[in-house]
Amino acid sequence: MSKIKEIICHHMKIIKVSISALITIVLIYFLNNNWNFGSTIPALGKLLDPFHGVWQNAETGKQVNETLELSGLTDEVIITYDSMMIPHIYARNNEDLYFAQGYVTARHRLWQMEFQTHAAAGRVSEIIGKAGLDYDRRQRRLGMVYGAAQALKSAEKNPEALAMVDSYTRGVNTYIESLDEDDLPLEYKLLNYKPELWTNLKFGLHLKSMAQTLNIGDKDLEMTNALKLFGKDMVDVLWPDNENVGDPIVDQAGNWRFKPITLDSVPLALPDELVNVVPLEKSAKGVGSNNWAVSGLKTQTGSPILCNDPHLKLSLPSIWYIVHLQSPDVNVMGASLPGVPSVISGFNDSIAWGVTNAQRDLVDWYRIQFKDQSTNEYLSDGQWKSSRKVIESIKIKGGDVFYDTVTYTHHGPVLYDKSFHGDREKNHYAFRWIAHDPSEEVLTFYKLNRARNHHDYMEALDHYASPAQNFVFAAVNGDIAIRIQGKFPVRRKDEGKYVLDGTKTFSEWQAFIPNDQNVMYKNPSRGFVSSANQYPVDNTYPYYITSTSYETYRNRRINKLLEEMTEITPRDMMEMQFDTYNLKAQESLPILLGLIDSTSLKGPQQEAFRILKQWNFDNEINSLGASYYAAWWNELFPLIWDEIKNGTVALDYPTDYTTIKLIKEKGDLTFFDIIETPQKETAREVVRIAFASGVEKIETWKSEKGKEPRWADYKDTFIGHLLQGLPALSYHVQHGGTGDAINASTRTNGPSWRMVVSLEKTKVKAWGVYPGGQSGNPGSPYYNNMLTMWTTGNYVPFQFESSPEKMKAVLTSLTLTPSK
Amino acid sequence: MKFPIQILVTLAICLLLQLFFPWWTLAIGAFVVAFIFDSKSFTSFAAGFLAIGILWLSMASYITVVTDSILTSKLNQLLPVNSLLLTLLIGGLVGGMASLTGSLFRKI
Repeated sequence: MSKIKEIICHHMKIIKVSISALITIVLIYFLNNNWNFGSTIPALGKLLDPFHGVWQNAETGKQVNETLELSGLTDEVIITYDSMMIPHIYARNNEDLYFAQGYVTARHRLWQMEFQTHAAAGRVSEIIGKAGLDYDRRQRRLGMVYGAAQALKSAEKNPEALAMVDSYTRGVNTYIESLDEDDLPLEYKLLNYKPELWTNLKFGLHLKSMAQTLNIGDKDLEMTNALKLFGKDMVDVLWPDNENVGDPIVDQAGNWRFKPITLDSVPLALPDELVNVVPLEKSAKGVGSNNWAVSGLKTQTGSPILCNDPHLKLSLPSIWYIVHLQSPDVNVMGASLPGVPSVISGFNDSIAWGVTNAQRDLVDWYRIQFKDQSTNEYLSDGQWKSSRKVIESIKIKGGDVFYDTVTYTHHGPVLYDKSFHGDREKNHYAFRWIAHDPSEEVLTFYKLNRARNHHDYMEALDHYASPAQNFVFAAVNGDIAIRIQGKFPVRRKDEGKYVLDGTKTFSEWQAFIPNDQNVMYKNPSRGFVSSANQYPVDNTYPYYITSTSYETYRNRRINKLLEEMTEITPRDMMEMQFDTYNLKAQESLPILLGLIDSTSLKGPQQEAFRILKQWNFDNEINSLGASYYAAWWNELFPLIWDEIKNGTVALDYPTDYTTIKLIKEKGDLTFFDIIETPQKETAREVVRIAFASGVEKIETWKSEKGKEPRWADYKDTFIGHLLQGLPALSYHVQHGGTGDAINASTRTNGPSWRMVVSLEKTKVKAWGVYPGGQSGNPGSPYYNNMLTMWTTGNYVPFQFESSPEKMKAVLTSLTLTPSK
Repeated sequence: MKFPIQILVTLAICLLLQLFFPWWTLAIGAFVVAFIFDSKSFTSFAAGFLAIGILWLSMASYITVVTDSILTSKLNQLLPVNSLLLTLLIGGLVGGMASLTGSLFRKI
C-alpha cells in the first residue's frame, strides 16, 4: 500500500516539476520574442534586461575620448565632436575620410539609415509583417531598386565616385560588425531584429527615395479624368501651366541665346478616357524649399550670403546629419543624408550651395496595349514587343514569402494590373520616371564639395539628373548664381499633362534639353538670386514647361524682402528664414471678409469677424487670427471643390492661388455650387457657409481644449519618430509659420534644415539648425537638443577650423587608427 | 539565515551569467542554485524572485540615476506600466519560476 502511495507521490513530484519547468520555458520563450495580438508586444524579457536590453541605450551627457583600432583604414583619422555632437573629421586621404564618415554616421544613425533604405526598397514587411505588404508592393512596382541599381552602375564607372561609395560602405560595415547585442540601437531592440550588412546599392536607394519624395507628385491620371469630365477649356482655367504671378526664378527675357532642340510637330492627340485607379500619393503641402543668395552689394560685410531651408516631413531621427569633412583634397561642412557619402547642402572654404525642388513634371504614364491577358507582348509602332517580367520576392515577418510579378515595358514598369489596384484588365499604364535613368548625382556632390568657383560648380552640376533641383550658389570671390539642374525631356505643348499613347513611339521622350540650355543665370543686376519652388523662367525661354504645381506666395515674399533690404547681416537672414508673414492671407482675407454680411453676425461669429478684421496676417505663435483664417480656409476649399472631393474617379485640386482668383473674378463659376444642396450657390454663399462652419470648428476646439486657439496650439507642430510617430519618442512643439510663409511649417512638414553662410574673404562663417539632434538614439541628450533652438529661430554657429587643435568647446574626440 | 544566503548566491551567480550571456541564462543559474540549496518550493520561488527582481531593478535604477531618467521617462510612456516596476516583475517572475523548478527537481 505504502509502496503505491510512494509511486503516486513520486509521479506527483515529476508532474509538478514538469509543469513548473514547462511554465518557465514558455515564459522565457514568450519574453524572448515579439508578439502581435492586435497590437505589438515586444520581447519584454530581452527588451527590459538591464544588462543588454533597452536600458543600455540610455546615455549620459558625459563623453570620454576614445581611440579605436580599425581594419580597413590606411592612416590615422581624428574626429572631434563639438558641443552639438557634430563630428569634424580630419583624415589624411579621401578613402579614410569617407570610411570615417560612414563609421560615425552609422554610430549615430544606423537604425534610421537601414530603415529608410528598407522602406525605399519595399522591405518594410520584413520588419513589421503583413501590414507593410501593400506599401512594399508599390515600392517594388515603382522600380525603386531598379533606379538605385542604375545609379550604382553609373557611380561604378567613375573611379573617384566608386572609391568614395566603397569607403563609406566599409565604414558603415566596420561599425555594424563591431556591434554587440547591448549596443544595438533602441529600435532594433523594440522590434527585435538585427541590422544586415550595408551595401553600395543603399546610397542609391537613399537618393531614389529623395527623388520619390520630391518628384513623384504627378497628376497625369487625375488630369486625364478632368479633361474627360470638364473639357479642355475648363481644365485650362482650373489648372493653368503658369499662373503668371511673381518673379520666375530666372528672368532674363530675350536673352536665351541658343538654338533649342525642336521636335517634329506631330499634333498630340489628347486622351479621352477615365482612369479608374488610385493614383500615387502626392507630396504633402509643405514639402518645398527656399534658397537665396545675396551679392556683396547688399550685405554689411561686402561678401555674399547664401541661405537654404529645405522643407520636408519633419521626423526623428532627423533626415539630416551635420558633418565637417576634411582631407588634403577637401574641406567641406553642412547637412548630409545619413547613408549617402559627402555633404548635400553646405559650404567649403571657397563656395556655398543649397537646393530647392524644381517641381518639373518628370513622370509620365503610357497606356499600353497588350496582345492578351498574359501581358507578354505589347504594341509599339505596329510591332509586338516582348515585355520583361520581374519577380519580386517580399519577405514577411512571421509569414511566407510573397511573390509579385511586375511587367516592365521599354517605357518602364506597369504599376497597376489585375493583381494590384488595377481597374479593368484591359487598362494598363506603364510608368516613365526620370529617376530610372542612369545618373551620376553622387559625383555631383563629390565635385560640389570640392568646388572652388563658379566654373567648378557648373561642371559639378553637369553630372546631376534627378530629382531636379534649383541649385543656388555663392562664392568668396563675390559671385552668386542659380541653376535649375535636372534631366528634362523636350516636350511639345501639353505633353506630359495627361496619359500618353504607349503604342506610338513619337509620344515618347525623344530628346533631353542640353545641360547648357537649362535655366540659369549668374550675378543678376538685382543683386540676389532666389527660388521657392515657383515657376522657373520668363516666357521667352524656348521650351515647354509643366509641373504638378508651382509655388505662388513664399517666392514673392522672399523677393520683396530681399529687394528692400540693404546692409544685410547673417542675423537678418536668420530672421527672414523665420518669417511667418502669410501673403496668401493678406491677398485673400479682405476678399473673403468682403463677402460676409458683418451686420447680421452674432456671438462667436461676430467675435471671429472682429479678430480676422484686426489680424496682421502674421502666423506667429500667439496669433488668434491665423487659427480662424486656417479654420475658415480648411472648410472653404473642400466645399468649393466638392465636385473633385466626391468625384467617382481620382481628380486633383486646383491651387489655392487659382481658387482665390476664381472667388474674386468668377464668383458664378459652376464649381461654386454645392452639389448636395438643391439651390444654386455662388462664391458668396460658399464663403459664408464655410465661415460659419470654420467658426464652429474653432468653438469646438476651444471647448475641447479649454483654451484660446493660439496658432501654435491650433496648428500643433509635431515632430514624429520614424516608427509611426510613437508618442514616447516624438515631440509637439510651439512653432509658428504656415505652408505659404517663408517659415513654411505646417503641422508635420517644414524647414528640415536651416543654413546661413557668409562667404567672407577672411573666413567663411556659417550657422545652421534642424529640428532634432545629431544622435538618433532617443536615450541620448543629443536626440533632440537642437529642437528648441529650431523652434525659437536660433542657430548653431558652426566651427569650421582647419585642424582639430583650433577647435573650441570640444565634447569628445575619437581617434581611428589602422589596425596592425 | 539560509533564505538571504540563497538570495545572495542566486543574485551573484546570475549577475555573472548576465554579464557574458543572453538574459535567459539567468534561469539556468537560478535553477542550479535552488537545486543545491534544497529549500521549500515557495521559499525557493521567493528567493529567485527577489534575487533577480533586485538585480534587475538595481541595475535599471542605477542607469536611470546616472542618465538623469533620459530614457526611463520615455519607456514609461511607451510601456503600459512603470518601466522600473515592469523590469522588476519580469526579472523576478523568470527568476522565481526557475528557482521553483530547481527546488522541485531536487525533491524528486
